[in-house]
Amino acid sequence: MRYLIEHETILEYPNTVREHHIELRLAPRSDGHQQVISCSIETEPASEMATYRDYFGNRVDYFCIIPPHTRLVTRLKSEVETLKENPFSFEAIPPSEEQEWLLKAVRNAPSMNDFVLHRSLLTPTAMKLADAITQAFPRRDKERPLLESLLELLAWIPTILEYRSGSTEVHGALVSAVAQGGGVCQDFAHLFITVARSWGVPARYVMGYLDPGISQIGETLTTHAWAEALVPGAGWVGFDATHNLLTNDHYIAVAIGRDSYDAAPQRGSFKGEASDAQPLVTVTMQEQVQN
Amino acid sequence: MYSAGIQGNKPRTPYHEFYADDFTPRDHYRLLWDHIKATGNSALEAKAHESQLALRAEGVTFTVYGESEEGIERIWPFDLIPRIITAAEWVKIESGLKQRVRALNFFLGDLYGEQRIIKDGVIPPELIYQGRDFRREIVGIVPPGGIYTHVSGIDIIRDEKGEFLILEDNLRTPSGVSYMIENRVIERRILPEFFNKYRVRRVEHYPSLLLAALRALSPRGKKIAEIVLLTPGIYNSAYFEHTFLAKEMGIELAEGRDMVVVNDIVYLKTTTGLQRVDVIYRRIDDDFLDPLVFRSDSSLGIAGVINAWRAGNVAIVNAPGSGIADDKAVYPYVPDIIRYYLGQEPILNNVPTYQMTNVKDREYVFDNMERMVIKAVSESGGYGMLMGPSSTPASRKEFMGLVQENPRNYIAQPVVYLSRHTCYMDGELEARHLDLRPYVIYGEDIEVVPGGLTRVALRKGSLVVNSSQGGGSKDTWVLAE
Repeated sequence: MRYLIEHETILEYPNTVREHHIELRLAPRSDGHQQVISCSIETEPASEMATYRDYFGNRVDYFCIIPPHTRLVTRLKSEVETLKENPFSFEAIPPSEEQEWLLKAVRNAPSMNDFVLHRSLLTPTAMKLADAITQAFPRRDKERPLLESLLELLAWIPTILEYRSGSTEVHGALVSAVAQGGGVCQDFAHLFITVARSWGVPARYVMGYLDPGISQIGETLTTHAWAEALVPGAGWVGFDATHNLLTNDHYIAVAIGRDSYDAAPQRGSFKGEASDAQPLVTVTMQEQVQN
Repeated sequence: MYSAGIQGNKPRTPYHEFYADDFTPRDHYRLLWDHIKATGNSALEAKAHESQLALRAEGVTFTVYGESEEGIERIWPFDLIPRIITAAEWVKIESGLKQRVRALNFFLGDLYGEQRIIKDGVIPPELIYQGRDFRREIVGIVPPGGIYTHVSGIDIIRDEKGEFLILEDNLRTPSGVSYMIENRVIERRILPEFFNKYRVRRVEHYPSLLLAALRALSPRGKKIAEIVLLTPGIYNSAYFEHTFLAKEMGIELAEGRDMVVVNDIVYLKTTTGLQRVDVIYRRIDDDFLDPLVFRSDSSLGIAGVINAWRAGNVAIVNAPGSGIADDKAVYPYVPDIIRYYLGQEPILNNVPTYQMTNVKDREYVFDNMERMVIKAVSESGGYGMLMGPSSTPASRKEFMGLVQENPRNYIAQPVVYLSRHTCYMDGELEARHLDLRPYVIYGEDIEVVPGGLTRVALRKGSLVVNSSQGGGSKDTWVLAE
């Protein structure tokens, strides 16, 4: 499918700020599941944009606004073709060989260790959640394919968390979402990642977009978040815990990381008084009819 | 006067730098010993007084941080009796340090590049990926010449047999070099006649060596190198050193807020406008260097400086990310790192080290805590450390809990009875434990300044030499062949 994404972020400050440096992780990825047809980013005030690829392979666009200003707008416009129709179409390998497959994947690419070992407030040890979760944690059954255990985990998450818009802070501790029994898509993704890592399975965070026709979280469209786990035979498979779905061609991945902090769409640093106001974010995602 | 011999029931006798036995100085100390015997304590007292006045007049100070937030500024504690290192001893130290620094730079280049050493199974991946100072933000960036640690200050101790051992690699922002030079300035004033007699090698050229190394890194070529020393400011314990080095090298001393990055170029804000900066000799930790990519709450750094560095428009010394190579949990692997990259046996050995992630090691350490030093891997300056012999049951229990909670964060070493040296303490000559921190500059080649900072544990029997924990210092004489 082909989508046109438009993503606008408006930051406003009560007093002037200056020496403002911004990094954006907004440009969608190009990989086996999706192809970027076009991508442009503009800013207001206008600026000179530079780019690099970060450790996780995300494209980072960065710029600075040095003179005093009270408003900063960034606008992304990108057309993306998605290719993954059936997430189950891969050649599975016998459960008895899966562990060796995973170990080898990590051995060959040491940076994969990050997706197994990383612990933070966002993706803590499963132990840290034990007090807040009274139900039994899902177990990985090594007799069966890993994918089955991961699907059980996916289905388990909505029994712990209920989707509540704006109920947790950006980059807030996972344990507080779990304790209150509700959170946003980030928390769902972090919980999935936390349990998968406790099984020794590489799992990572994905920030991106979901077709509003599929999304059940309603209201205004913003960025979405899900998890990816490394599945033997398949590679990275996307798990959208908020919707209890495997990701497919209705999803567009933008940035990945160990947790939401790594994949934050916009990061900045400036001199001046910080604003209490939330950034005003407007996202549209339209399916493009192809000729 | 000094009385040697075994004290109390201490099982091992530390090496004495000055004396060969109870009554005889080592050969290279005889000249000095004869002089001290001939002139007596009153002459020493006069010299000690003179050195105190000189330190005060020069304003040589350091800051100690204790319970309170604000530090206390103190006059630098200096002992007038020099520590002497023979030419033969120095050859070993020098070649051992060069070997180590060369290998550690290969290691850093590999960690932030291909990671062959992990793929080949020499270094366990957890060690790196759980290390606080492995900086993912700089993976893939190759600093000029592949050099990360242009300045290192490596701590060496001497065990009971007199063997030099590496205690710690300090590859981030090692301090103390200004005191090495100030100690020399004072010593030249109070013992001038010995410098020729002993053919003491000079250390005062350190700032010009460093300046040349910094200048060579300028992206615009060394002819137009604008160099800045980045300091966290006057409250930093090493602020004296920052001002000292900036003055000696004739470079700007600046704080992060004095600079701005515009489109990947770093500028210094001056009264005549923005002036381009080519090289930053930073004396702040990675965490605080760039709020855009590292700690966003840091007001000490320069937003955008890492992107400017990636673009090749500015050099940062030492390179960001160097800290993973002096992580104390990596330290036990340095001999293997030397073998791996250089195919050589280490010239200088490590102190035996127990890894707290290893269950057997951990149990052994817990059973022998009174004889161990336990160190937090990312701390320095003697903070976050348990000294077994002087520990209390309560502090041992506390450390046991800390280690169990986060074993990756701790290592343990058997207490090494650091070598001792004669010091002039309140009118008496007494033995005190000491170590040595030589400084290594990696510019076009690796150079070890012949000397270093000898740090002395001023309290009798104490093995803690850190200035921040009440250590003193001596001038260090390396003799020419």
